Amino acid sequence: MNESLIKAYLNLHAVFQNLEDLVKFDEPMAQLIRDWDLTVEFVVRNGPSAFVEFKNGVCRHGATAHDNPTVRLYFTSAGHLNRMFDGKATPIPLKGFLRLGFLKREFAQLTDRLTYYLRPELGKPDDESYVKLNTILTLQTAIYAVKVLGMLEPTSKKIAAHIPAGALQVEVLPAGPCLHLVFDKGGISVAKGPAKQPMAKMAFKNLQVANALLTGKLDGFLAVANGDVVLQGQLPMVDNLNLILDRVPRYLV
Amino acid sequence: MTSPDVSNGMKIYQYDKSAALFRRAAKVIPCGIYGHFSPTPCVPVSAYPFFSERTEGAKFWDVDGNEFVDYMCAYGPMVLGYHHPVVDEAYQAQMKRADSNSVASPKMVELAEFMVDMIPVADWAFFAKNGADVTNYAAMIARAVTGRNKIIAIAGGYHGTTPWMQAAGHHGTIDDDLTHIRRIPWNDFAALERVVAEHPNDVAGFIASPYHHPIFVDNEMPAEGYWQKVQQFLKKNGIVFIIDDVRCGFRLHMGGSNELFGFKPDLICFCKAIANGYPISALVGTESLKNVAAKVFHTGSFWYSAGPMAAALACLQELKRIDGPKIMADQGKKLLAGMVEISKAHGYHLQVSGAPSMPYLRITDDASLMLHQQWCAECTRRGAYLTSHHNWFVSTAHTDEDIQRTLEIADDAFKAVKQAR
Ligand SMILES: Cc1ncc(COP(=O)(O)O)c(C=O)c1O
Repeated sequence: MNESLIKAYLNLHAVFQNLEDLVKFDEPMAQLIRDWDLTVEFVVRNGPSAFVEFKNGVCRHGATAHDNPTVRLYFTSAGHLNRMFDGKATPIPLKGFLRLGFLKREFAQLTDRLTYYLRPELGKPDDESYVKLNTILTLQTAIYAVKVLGMLEPTSKKIAAHIPAGALQVEVLPAGPCLHLVFDKGGISVAKGPAKQPMAKMAFKNLQVANALLTGKLDGFLAVANGDVVLQGQLPMVDNLNLILDRVPRYLV
Repeated sequence: MTSPDVSNGMKIYQYDKSAALFRRAAKVIPCGIYGHFSPTPCVPVSAYPFFSERTEGAKFWDVDGNEFVDYMCAYGPMVLGYHHPVVDEAYQAQMKRADSNSVASPKMVELAEFMVDMIPVADWAFFAKNGADVTNYAAMIARAVTGRNKIIAIAGGYHGTTPWMQAAGHHGTIDDDLTHIRRIPWNDFAALERVVAEHPNDVAGFIASPYHHPIFVDNEMPAEGYWQKVQQFLKKNGIVFIIDDVRCGFRLHMGGSNELFGFKPDLICFCKAIANGYPISALVGTESLKNVAAKVFHTGSFWYSAGPMAAALACLQELKRIDGPKIMADQGKKLLAGMVEISKAHGYHLQVSGAPSMPYLRITDDASLMLHQQWCAECTRRGAYLTSHHNWFVSTAHTDEDIQRTLEIADDAFKAVKQAR
């Protein structure tokens, strides 16, 4: 699996799922999509598919193709998709030609806003509400990326092979977000919300701690020792999770 | 200063000074406390001391003045009890004469002679400092003598921190570090045959501990006949048989732990318990590997320091004289029988695995280990220092009184766990 293809999977499956929460937490974006009723599908030749569905003010992301999207966007290669994510290419519409104006204007507004929240150098790192959403979305991207890398990237696959079976819960106290990964003999799934029966837990004391760790400003070992991060249960799951998390920046800035 | 809590007349420890010292450490030391002493696997970290002030017998006192019966024994090196007079006197006497200097010490020859005499496999002995010094040396000898590349090890087996010994993806290692390493499951003779067949004439050595003692999971003894089949198969295929006895060595058998299981490797790595805490490790081997061992260049700044050699000689002599492995096994059995009974009385199932002198325990009622972590933490903050992820260690200094005290602690810890749930 080459780097470009891994990056395409990360973009479609780890970065794009954040749209679900962006429209939940960012008021202007909630307003923007309030009346949308459509599904946009992304298809990469010899690569991943995904869709985002907007209905009743809610966004739902799926890491698969969609049977009947309103708009189908086609990419000739993983590189093509990645260039679009960098703002340097446009997709080939296969369906929904009447919506092209919408894509250029409103949908682009939404994706630009996501980029704004994921890239502190483009945002407002001193603004509390900015930092809050930046942290939530960055953490979610990272945890979703673990699934992608653990299933596709050779070294991460080897690391994932050592992870005991069961659910690993990652949460930010006191009010979330909370996510969990389920490992099962090479298979990995990821979802938002608490796990039913976690085999291990990693909890950040607050959003500031999560942010400092995600941006590499805080050493994880120190954070555990002074209680800023609390680990419980099958710690080999957490150790290996962290090894994969540390590989994410090789692919995503 | 926080006032100490009390549970059923038992003091619940506080660690204010440890925590303060850790904050200082964090500023000037990566991780604050790194490696196997890192607080990370201690759950919750707030139940564990980070720094010790004093040791004696089977006990240590932390910087907050809390007293612990020590079941980690420095993760193995402490075997006769801290400050054992025989070992300490031998060390002090040697230090007064000479330690590190410009030529070798006669103590090195005495120690090698003693080990060659005591350990059936050993026709020679070589000294270094740490366990990984000698596991590395063993692998180099295997490659030098065979002219082959591959080393086979057990999945989950630990031999030190050199990149080839680490699992894939660890920081500072590269994928190529593992190009010539193959890991097979413990007790799986067919897997050994398969890997050797996959690499005809390219397997240099096979390295494993005498029984499987990974962390976080139950330890496993060799299956009936496993070692004998392995020994025969490796010999037939010209593969060097390396036993990593760094953790078990001299706790199970004075002749090398392989003697307990009835087999003979070509090389044995010793460290930890060899000198009751003084820094020294050893590789011993058979006559047929002696000339090649001589050709493999391997040395270190402190490998010739004579103090630890004198300590090792005294420690091994004393362990042999008192039959240390038997004492540790007996004391371990007493401790474990008591703990299992207490856990039963509280309605829990405590699974014991590994050797009684270095048992791994796990409360099986909660597969996530959270219950077990809670119980180990409650024991520790009442004065029995034990971790939940790693096998414990028993020494010859653990008295019946220490064990009785530990059982009282274990009982109260179970009560606390029950209350909290
Ligand atoms: C079985 C085994 N081998 C090798 C080592 C490595 O020893 P050292 O840390 O002294 O290099 C250890 C250390 O815990 C060990 O338990």
